[in-house]
Amino acid sequence: MSLPGLELAQPSEERQHSAAPPSQITLKPGSEWRFEVAFGHSIKVRLLTGTAELFGTELAELQTYTFCGTKAAIYTWHGCELEVSAGETNTATLDGVTPTAGHGAGGCQSEYVAEETPMVEYANAHFALETIRQEAHGSGKDGPRVLLLGPEDAGKTSLAKILTAYATKSGRQPIVVNLDPTEGMLSVPGTITATAFRTMLNIEEGWGSSPMSGPSPVPVKLPLVYGYPHPSPLDANGSVYRPLVSRLAVSVTGRMAEDEDSRETGIIVDTPGILSSGKPGTTELINHIVTEFAITTIIVLGSERLYSNMVKQYDNKPSASASADVFDERVSVLKLSKSGGCVDRDPSYLKTAREYQIKSYFFGTSIYSPSPFAVTLSPHTSQLDFAGLSVYNYTVTSEEDEDEDEYDPSQLGMDSFGEETKPTESDRPAPLPGIVGLSVNPPTSSADNTPFSNVPLKKVLPPAPTALTNTLLAITHAPTTATPAQVRDASVIGFLYVASVEPEKGKIHVLAPVGGRVPQRAMIWAKRWPDEVIGLVN
Amino acid sequence: MSGLPSDDLVEDYRVSLEDLTTNDRFQINNLTVIARENTEHAMAISRELENHIKKTPPQQKLPALYVVDSIVKNVGTPYTLFLGRNMYQTFMNAYTLVDGPTRRKLDEMLKTWKEPVPGSLDTRPVFPPEVTRNIESALIKARTAALERDRTVNRGRTGGTPTGWKNSPIPPQAMPHPPPQHPYGGRASNTSVCSARDPRLALHAPSVLSNREFMRQTPPQGNSPNMTLESLHRDLNALVEGARAAFARSPFDISCQQRLQALLDLQRILQQQQLPPDQLRIVQDQVSSLAATQPGPAPAPIAQNSVPSAPVATPPVPVSTPPTQPTPQSFQSLFNPGTLADLIKATANPQQPTPPPQIPNPLTQMPPMPPMPPASGTPQPAENPLIQALRMHGLLPSASAPPAMMSAGGTPRAGPLPFLMPGQPHSTPPAPTPQLASASTVPMNTASMKIPRIALVASLYEAKPNRCGTCGLRFLATAEGREKKARHLDWHFKTNQRMVDASKRAQNRSWYVDERDWIKSREAGDDTGPTDTQATIEGETGVPGDPAKQGPPKAWIRAPNDAKLRNTPCPICQEMFESTWSEDVQDWIWQDAIQVAARVYHASCYAEVTRDGPAPRSSTPQARTGTPDSVLGKRKAEGNDSPGNTTRVKMEPM
Repeated sequence: MSLPGLELAQPSEERQHSAAPPSQITLKPGSEWRFEVAFGHSIKVRLLTGTAELFGTELAELQTYTFCGTKAAIYTWHGCELEVSAGETNTATLDGVTPTAGHGAGGCQSEYVAEETPMVEYANAHFALETIRQEAHGSGKDGPRVLLLGPEDAGKTSLAKILTAYATKSGRQPIVVNLDPTEGMLSVPGTITATAFRTMLNIEEGWGSSPMSGPSPVPVKLPLVYGYPHPSPLDANGSVYRPLVSRLAVSVTGRMAEDEDSRETGIIVDTPGILSSGKPGTTELINHIVTEFAITTIIVLGSERLYSNMVKQYDNKPSASASADVFDERVSVLKLSKSGGCVDRDPSYLKTAREYQIKSYFFGTSIYSPSPFAVTLSPHTSQLDFAGLSVYNYTVTSEEDEDEDEYDPSQLGMDSFGEETKPTESDRPAPLPGIVGLSVNPPTSSADNTPFSNVPLKKVLPPAPTALTNTLLAITHAPTTATPAQVRDASVIGFLYVASVEPEKGKIHVLAPVGGRVPQRAMIWAKRWPDEVIGLVN
Repeated sequence: MSGLPSDDLVEDYRVSLEDLTTNDRFQINNLTVIARENTEHAMAISRELENHIKKTPPQQKLPALYVVDSIVKNVGTPYTLFLGRNMYQTFMNAYTLVDGPTRRKLDEMLKTWKEPVPGSLDTRPVFPPEVTRNIESALIKARTAALERDRTVNRGRTGGTPTGWKNSPIPPQAMPHPPPQHPYGGRASNTSVCSARDPRLALHAPSVLSNREFMRQTPPQGNSPNMTLESLHRDLNALVEGARAAFARSPFDISCQQRLQALLDLQRILQQQQLPPDQLRIVQDQVSSLAATQPGPAPAPIAQNSVPSAPVATPPVPVSTPPTQPTPQSFQSLFNPGTLADLIKATANPQQPTPPPQIPNPLTQMPPMPPMPPASGTPQPAENPLIQALRMHGLLPSASAPPAMMSAGGTPRAGPLPFLMPGQPHSTPPAPTPQLASASTVPMNTASMKIPRIALVASLYEAKPNRCGTCGLRFLATAEGREKKARHLDWHFKTNQRMVDASKRAQNRSWYVDERDWIKSREAGDDTGPTDTQATIEGETGVPGDPAKQGPPKAWIRAPNDAKLRNTPCPICQEMFESTWSEDVQDWIWQDAIQVAARVYHASCYAEVTRDGPAPRSSTPQARTGTPDSVLGKRKAEGNDSPGNTTRVKMEPM
């Protein structure tokens, strides 16, 4: 084409779009640069001079860090200069969503410098923990067990990262426990995990990565994973969550007993915000966690009411540890300021974040991040005979939504509508004639009475339900013949993603992280949580 | 229908249907029960259902169709009869408007309709085959067309990155003919269209029945692509007619004006320009979804593809029955995120890489229009003018809204500092006021947290001045620190090397360990050399240089990716290597194999051969130029003269 002006117009267009000059940001000592980058867009940050840290993990000078789908802050104790530029937009954005470049430097959706941060408090919390750790080193006492509480978006996980990063920086090895099933740590959502951190956190990827067959630029972390396919710990009145927490605590205690470094450093427990919401049942759950992990330090973020409750209930009381008497170990309750940088993450952001967490479990972080350090993984697809699997499903309904009873056309006529047409053999005992009034108890309340003997796990029998499509299956370490309680308590080997179901052939097509035969173990169907991820395959 | 005994029932049924917004089994069962108990009104109920499915917003179509599914399976006749008649239109209309996942669910449902009711003695399928067949063939045609389109799009792009289109702000096909300016000139503000809620209009809604009746006469015949444009025009005409009528009725209603104008613009664009079929299809979808919500006379547009002459000109018949109250849905809910993203993507994709950008946007040439939203320096990819036009008229949500909807990650910010908390005086970062924190002991209480201890921060920074340039890790300035750093740098070096190696073959996530292993495991540092978990998992015995470390019985290597190497037999025994899957390594391996220089031998063969030879040199084996030809057992090569000619080598994998 030789239209006049055409050739000229094109490059100017380009310039306008892509070659925005990198911005320089100068931070005074004790201030931080807060930024938000959407998924599908990326920015590059370089530390030019000074020192800087992201949630406690120090940035190396003149190294380029790529951020994508991140809301974070870079803090400096000593002052620094940062260079921020737009990264290449990732072409691998699966959903075809137009990447939204924001107005900020490098295309951040929002970025600004904040001079008031609670970092002094957070660092002090670390130094106070260090003090206890030093005592533990000499005395044979266990290191501090920290419980982080606070409402949603109060900065609990960020504080957990800061405390973890500072601890590893001080040569410690904390065990970080994530009890929040809405956000996975080194795993997918719908899990609770424990991980010993000895090496630095990954600046670009948050906590880092779980082991892969290949090398990783930042040492991988080895999580112990339990499947909890519900969004809230309160689901089923905590009857599933509580035993899992206990089980996790047993493993962590076992590790501490054998691993001197972990014993001295102690535990950092991150919790879901709902625990701090004051809803009925939360106090009991907090108490359960405090007891099971023999918590010594409760840090409350951003909730005055919860702080006062916690002080009333725990402050200066002996810890639940067996050696509490010997060392006169007492619980201390602290209140730390919520950072002004905490932003409310809207549901759609959280959903995307969960989706990427699941995607990167199978495909590596390069699926959304254009970072040169992002890893590409190759999962394997395979076809499984559903009848040969032992898949369990939690038959509990959620606190909030009752959409467990979804209408499924493929299941129809058999049972879903049976209640009306014919008396079905439900697992509810038939009411005895005459004393109808007595047996009106809904099944949930009976589960409440005997939470441990009555595990709401039911085996999913063939034909394979089509609702399996787009959901995850957690392969547990439990043998296929295990009892429901064993399946519930078993740690997870890994996850399968069900790409499609062929009910008539009894086959399911799955995506497995690792090639070869899928381990013959009991599986838990993550039917309700994490939410469906559409189109992971193809 | 007034005066019929089913009137109240139908009214109730409609209300219940409108309450059904999610896939709720309880509600669906309930609606099924009502349907069963009132089979004498099956016709009215069926009509109500069809009508509801047609009008309800896309994301509520699935539950409504599930009601149909439930009724036909649990009640059967006469509903199968009544619902079957218009099933093609009902189904296809819904199918075109819903997003991908819902379509999949619809596909699944359709599949069950071809089979007998599960658990029933009746072996006949849920719907008579002719009902499902029509739908299926239409779907297949649509899919083939979509595939075809994809192929052409891909060919057109020839490997260009999808980002390519972002630099082309204006789709070429929309460029050359700016739509002429138009008489009404509605001075559109950004208020959303609200005519749907105008009670005056509601009274003039056409009889549902009349719609249905003409629909019934339309034999379903696949959507041939050629028909698309024509039918689109027709649909659009219908819409325009409707909007005109509405405008005539209430000439001062600004929203009517806007709507009409937008539609006329759209019509003009369509008439004057050659839009690619996929864009057409999308426009069509949008048009039909508009039509579905339009209160005026716009009978189900999508299903009309094959109607010889659409009865759009039929004047609205006032009905005594109050028509369904228009669902008070916003257009945002109408254009669900998936559809919108699809629309934008599809209209953007097929563009040529070099559009003529100097031609001004046609929209800016429409004088009565409010000015384009200022670019405000955002490098936002420009959109198809068509979409912009729709947006300008409030038929699409305004441009500021989509980020929240389209990209889940998008969080529109109100201002730059929205979440700054009011001052926290004590937490103000410390000016250099080094407080003497008594010998680094910090008491664990809230008050102590507020005291700045900048001196202690030095323990995290200045105390370890020796930094790793790659990752920023700090080391002590002591000899020990230097040694640690050396090991750490070594680790980096090795990791980098391994990453280069690893990039050549596929990697995957490892399984998680079980409780016992986790308790026993010890975190490998990055200063302890390469003996971390990855290294042990990797077990790279095949790397030239360290095969000697492995005892021969355990020798194995990863099956090489290189095809040539893979098809080369063991030079000693001339047997091929056998790939086996190793659970431990999680990769294909060759058992009893050893790589020496560039060749792979059976470890046992190699051991046999080298035993007689210069044994001490086995760690640095010489790459023989001549193959140590096989003399061994099975294959008797002529003229061999290699050593150890009496030995028989065990070749089974160990």
